[in-house]
Amino acid sequence: MAHWGMVIDLDKCVGCQACSLACKSENNVPFGSPDEQRRRLDIFWHKVIAASKGEYPNATTEIIPMPCMHCEHPSCVSVCPAKATYQREDGIVMQNFRRCIGCKYCIVACPYGARSFNYKEQENEEYQRPDLPPDLGLSFETYIGPWPYPHRTHGVVEKCTFCFHRIDQGLKQGKRIGIDVVPACVEACPTVARAFGDLDDPKSNVSQLLASRDSLKLRPEFGTEPKVVYLPR
Amino acid sequence: MSESSKGESPKAGGSEGFTVSRRTFLALSAGTAAVVAAHYAIKWPKFSPKSAPQQGTKGVQTETWVYTSCLNCRARCAINVRVVNGKAVRILGNPNSTYTDGKTCPRSHIGLQVLYDPERTKTPLKRTGAKGRGEDPKWQPISWQAALDEISGKLATISGEPNRLLVLQGLNTESDEHLIRRFAQAYGTRNLFSEDNLETGAEKEGRRLADGRDNSGYELESVDHTFTHYILAFSASIVESEGPLTRNLRLWGKIRREEPNRAKVVVIDPRYSITAAKADEWIPNNPGTDGTLAMAIAYVIISEGLYDQDFTDNWTYGFEDYKKTVLENFRPEDVADKAGVAADVIRRIAREFARSKPAIAWSGMGATSWPHGTYASHAIYCLNALVGSMDARGGIIYQEPPPYRDMPVISGAEPGIDFRETANLILHNAVDVIIGFNSNLIMSLPETKAEASIWDAPLKKPYYVHIAPSLTEMADYADIVLPACTYLEEWGYETAPPGSGYAEVRIKRPTVEPLYDSRPTAQIIFDLATRTGSTVKDAFKNIGDSPEGFVRYRTAAFWDTLEADGVWGGPDYHYGKYNQIFHTDSKKFEFHSANLTELLDVKFVGNEGYPLKLVTYHPVLHIKNGSQNYPWAQEIFLVMHGYGWDNFVEMNTETAHHLGIDDRDRVWIQSDVDGTTRRIKARARVFEGMLPGVVAVAVGQGHYASGKWDKDIGVNPNEIIGLDYDAVSGQPSFFNTRVKVYKA
Repeated sequence: MAHWGMVIDLDKCVGCQACSLACKSENNVPFGSPDEQRRRLDIFWHKVIAASKGEYPNATTEIIPMPCMHCEHPSCVSVCPAKATYQREDGIVMQNFRRCIGCKYCIVACPYGARSFNYKEQENEEYQRPDLPPDLGLSFETYIGPWPYPHRTHGVVEKCTFCFHRIDQGLKQGKRIGIDVVPACVEACPTVARAFGDLDDPKSNVSQLLASRDSLKLRPEFGTEPKVVYLPR
Repeated sequence: MSESSKGESPKAGGSEGFTVSRRTFLALSAGTAAVVAAHYAIKWPKFSPKSAPQQGTKGVQTETWVYTSCLNCRARCAINVRVVNGKAVRILGNPNSTYTDGKTCPRSHIGLQVLYDPERTKTPLKRTGAKGRGEDPKWQPISWQAALDEISGKLATISGEPNRLLVLQGLNTESDEHLIRRFAQAYGTRNLFSEDNLETGAEKEGRRLADGRDNSGYELESVDHTFTHYILAFSASIVESEGPLTRNLRLWGKIRREEPNRAKVVVIDPRYSITAAKADEWIPNNPGTDGTLAMAIAYVIISEGLYDQDFTDNWTYGFEDYKKTVLENFRPEDVADKAGVAADVIRRIAREFARSKPAIAWSGMGATSWPHGTYASHAIYCLNALVGSMDARGGIIYQEPPPYRDMPVISGAEPGIDFRETANLILHNAVDVIIGFNSNLIMSLPETKAEASIWDAPLKKPYYVHIAPSLTEMADYADIVLPACTYLEEWGYETAPPGSGYAEVRIKRPTVEPLYDSRPTAQIIFDLATRTGSTVKDAFKNIGDSPEGFVRYRTAAFWDTLEADGVWGGPDYHYGKYNQIFHTDSKKFEFHSANLTELLDVKFVGNEGYPLKLVTYHPVLHIKNGSQNYPWAQEIFLVMHGYGWDNFVEMNTETAHHLGIDDRDRVWIQSDVDGTTRRIKARARVFEGMLPGVVAVAVGQGHYASGKWDKDIGVNPNEIIGLDYDAVSGQPSFFNTRVKVYKA
């Protein structure tokens, strides 16, 4: 079983946010409003943040794209009282909207701010586009993953899925994950700063990139072992 | 490390949460150099958007991918649009475009919200109320027939004096621009203003002085994969506001990490732009001194003999005079104080620049939107000639024109006027009819603050026809509004802007049927032409007869490729054509040194008692079509500050402390030009990335028309900027207004 991970080169990334926009459009993530932003209620599955340090004229700002880190030891899974968030065998951390009770423990537990709570009303037309996710042949009775996105659920926590629908369908069709099929943010990156693939396979592009340079994971002291790894400048 | 483990989640800005990681960055970066060579062997994955894994989607009756081109800025990149059940749902790059390497910038995604903007005008409208900002227009829907008849009737009344017609050209599909130009020429008016001159007039003029050309560009990667090794950016935010953005972004990735010699990027800018943040070095300079710095760098290059003598001896004119001007006036030690950059820094940068070939000196809007803007552009451009980057691999190239089929020749002079002439026509009531094609000029004009606008009264007088997808601010002055459709619903062709050397043409074709009762701009021009006198009517015969026919007519030489691939690429570029590329009188690269000492005299407008200088900038998600009514762009508008739905008065901590202002305070920013004070209220953003004494405000916000997602959001800094022009090109000088800032 593959272990999916993402590598983001911070030397190539210029914070243009094509990734964030591709994510919104791929996953039909609702957009916010000035009021929602003030109250920090807007929903992002992917966001680019900026962190500054130092004083003029030696100030520096790091611009960091932030998908879900899909941690090896996800604290969100540990704290979930409803077993709504869980880790798949391939390492992707998922959210089951049907189990989620909206308690937001996971939002507090996540050290990366990767999770958003959906306050939006279901009938809000602004995010109902006919851009349906692929038919994965999933049964409503037996499948416990996040139900496909045009049908959003009010009052649950949402997050990045590494575009699991692309991966699952790509595997079914015998495509090479990481080469033929990648998450929407990786596909959209105009600087080609992102790579996706199997961390367990030493020949995969992500493994080779990690072998080529020093890398870092965000907030290592939490012991979460993120599977999104950054290549510093 | 323990303090940050208690930190908040990094979602909202994240500086606390990031502290530890930041240390890790520093600790790890020491080892980075050793592995630079190793990464070269590793290929980044290539994948084709054609294989997007979404076939077999539940609920899909029809699905097509349509090759067309973007129009959210002037780069007009090739895109691929997914259309499901008749609705456009996704935009990706066109993989056939070598110019963009199949990529697109973030703005391209916004196209879906441009197309489905609920504020779009549904039908032609006629004003029955009063004109002007804040007036009730009392729009009355009318038929296309009635609207076009009324416009042609108006044009007939001034046909004896065709220069009473002014045509404003905002951001339009290039084929439409060709038709608009032809319409103006056939009608007989020379008064056509293209709004890209607001930003690039001075820059183009400064380069034209040197080479007599209009199509020079920066080629970061040559056709045989030679990469630029050194970029010296003068107030140019290459990965944020400089075009062609997608190409810049893609090549940024390449020059930084995909070839053995990682390019060095040095940014000279009073503002810590995103490009400065990602560059190797940020050198804050005093506003308006970019030209002076370029000359000081030339001083070092010339005095230390680092210039390309072969090129200057054989292919330049006026070098000795230029050399004399440089050596007499621009010794780094003499201009260091004026520029705010230490002499040893200037000397070091100059040596690096001259020794790291191929190198590019890149001028941005902040360097050239000045009264001396043309000279600043010229001074910066000359650096490229000094280091042998003219028509060289990874240097300056002259974009080849595509082989469009010529239209039948018509009489009359080529129309086209600069901004100063346009402003004088409007302010002195010298025009009776204005036709604006997707124009939102009022948002870009200086001195437009509502109660003290110098434009409001003069713009009410002429008969104004607003042809655009939505009722932007310019519609406040419209007598008639024609709903043009967006670029995702029309036929057209687009030429790649300078950057690749070889030509590229992108097709534009409808991804969906035009929404509401909107019509393609090309159709509107054809319809107007048939109603407007025989000269104009005849000028539009035999050029295809329809928007699609026109595209097929013009691109006949390569239509099949264009239709199949969505792009057509010209033959490879050839370098070093020195005997043919310079179109100056001397047929050489000309150094114009006569006025370059004017660079030392940085002129500001407004009350001399006001202590601060106002600069503006174009953030990456500022959509260039005159509207900002796009929630995807709004919510992540200012990535450097972690905020959207707003813009700020950005200032240094020291400046803020001096003024008693805290971060996020509401402040007034005020100018006083020729005795008229204008002020706007915004939030302060206090941070380290700004030269003390300078405040910056992003443009793109401050809309006051109808948009649900842009009305009354943020401020428009142009409202308080003083009206001043570049001496040569007439471009507005956006960067030289003195202001004061105080708590609201």
